[in-house]
Amino acid sequence: MRPVVVAGVGMIPFERRDEDSLVDMLAMASWNAIEDANLGDRSVDAVYVGNMASGLFNHQESVASALVDRLSLMPAAAERIENGPASGGSAVKNGFLGVASGYYDIVLVVGGEKMREVIGPKATDVVACMTHPEAEYIYGVTLPALAGMFARLYMDKYNITQEHLAMVAIKNQENGLLNPYAHIQMKITMEGILTHPQAHINSPIVADPLRLYDCCPVSDGAAAVLLTTEEIAQKLKKPLVKIAGVGQATDTHTLQERSDPTDLKAVRIASQQAFKMAGLKPKDIHVAELHDAFTILEIAESEHAGFFPMGKGAKALADGETRIGGKLPINPSGGLKARGHPVGATGVAQIVELVWQLRGEAGERQVKDASNGFSVNFGGFGNNVLAFVLRREA
Amino acid sequence: MSTITAFKCNACGHVMYPHHYRCLNCNGREFKKIKPTTKGRLLTFTIVDQLPWGIDERGRVLGVVEFDNGVKALGVIKTANPRIGMRLRAGWKPVRIIGGDKVYGLTFHKTK
Repeated sequence: MRPVVVAGVGMIPFERRDEDSLVDMLAMASWNAIEDANLGDRSVDAVYVGNMASGLFNHQESVASALVDRLSLMPAAAERIENGPASGGSAVKNGFLGVASGYYDIVLVVGGEKMREVIGPKATDVVACMTHPEAEYIYGVTLPALAGMFARLYMDKYNITQEHLAMVAIKNQENGLLNPYAHIQMKITMEGILTHPQAHINSPIVADPLRLYDCCPVSDGAAAVLLTTEEIAQKLKKPLVKIAGVGQATDTHTLQERSDPTDLKAVRIASQQAFKMAGLKPKDIHVAELHDAFTILEIAESEHAGFFPMGKGAKALADGETRIGGKLPINPSGGLKARGHPVGATGVAQIVELVWQLRGEAGERQVKDASNGFSVNFGGFGNNVLAFVLRREA
Repeated sequence: MSTITAFKCNACGHVMYPHHYRCLNCNGREFKKIKPTTKGRLLTFTIVDQLPWGIDERGRVLGVVEFDNGVKALGVIKTANPRIGMRLRAGWKPVRIIGGDKVYGLTFHKTK
């Protein structure tokens, strides 16, 4: 396989974007990536759009075809990639394969979702459509509900407290304050979201034991990367940030069928695959973007990816190891918790943040001397997961 | 009483719900349809205050129960103060209205 370089990255701020259509958001993020890559008049061979539910959210399908038209990129090949909340990661993987195989030289990958077009309970219902129709959906199960049942078991098994969960929220919202693209721009405190007698007013139960501030917001947004060969990236005079490792693994659709429901097997396997391809180990990573749709997931993924022994992730968090300036900063972007989680956009936004970090372009949230980055994009409730290792070459 | 249908692998005896075309344990392709027993044990649960569109209630308790014959299934827990490990008996009641129709599913109640 040929090496694949991320030559351009672009985002638009994640927020409530009533004025922009989904295709407009995808187009704006794409343009930012194309301009960042200094692409000029070079043509794009293919466009992959990561998007989960444009039909249900926005009453629009075939968004990849609509996007190439909006960007006047015809006759580029165009496809939408759907893999629930890992649609963005899957789109990046498919773009990577297109360039690595030699089939394409220049591929645009963009992820986006416009979720705020519907009211909150409808957005919850749309996302819940990824659960098993007969064994889960009919009962009113939601993604927070699955996370709540997982959290109850995981917290009990590894002595994780609600204070630990709140520490993830506080850290990531602090990081979000340093990221102009983050949806949530608000500092929170342990007292305000957990320990004050009236903290439940600020942070009510969503799906016990998870509270409001344990959950990511519902956001609109888009993010894009331009992938190409090493040779073309050098001509474009871009830093060589390569996709050095890619992993993807699946697990049972329902949580109840896993022999150990606290084992995020797909995270473990996808991470191992990505590290193996990159020839790196977890200790070699300088910055990570993990899929903290719920605070418990940041702790659990940090262990399953191999950064900390099982059951030690919460201690590493409490000791400050995962803060910017710590041994392994996790989610300097603010993560899904603060940047937001427009589902199709997230996997691409994670790669965008890593490229900014590895180029040294992350501003106030820059992780010092970062040259190796890692991400996990968690689809379903851990039943289809992607992991990436990115490496900056000198 | 109506209930779910689970599947027991003819080759290794592994019990699955919902249906798969290959056994999760041994890749076997032949199964016997089985019904869950009437009682089981609560494995985990959550109390959901933010339910999706179409369910006009708060505080619905959802949980996973392992029946005495090994079938594991999600359902609506209809008892106050749920706790992991408690014994429950299964019911079959409307759990949601979809497209104007009542959809029936598993409910779990305190054993007498």
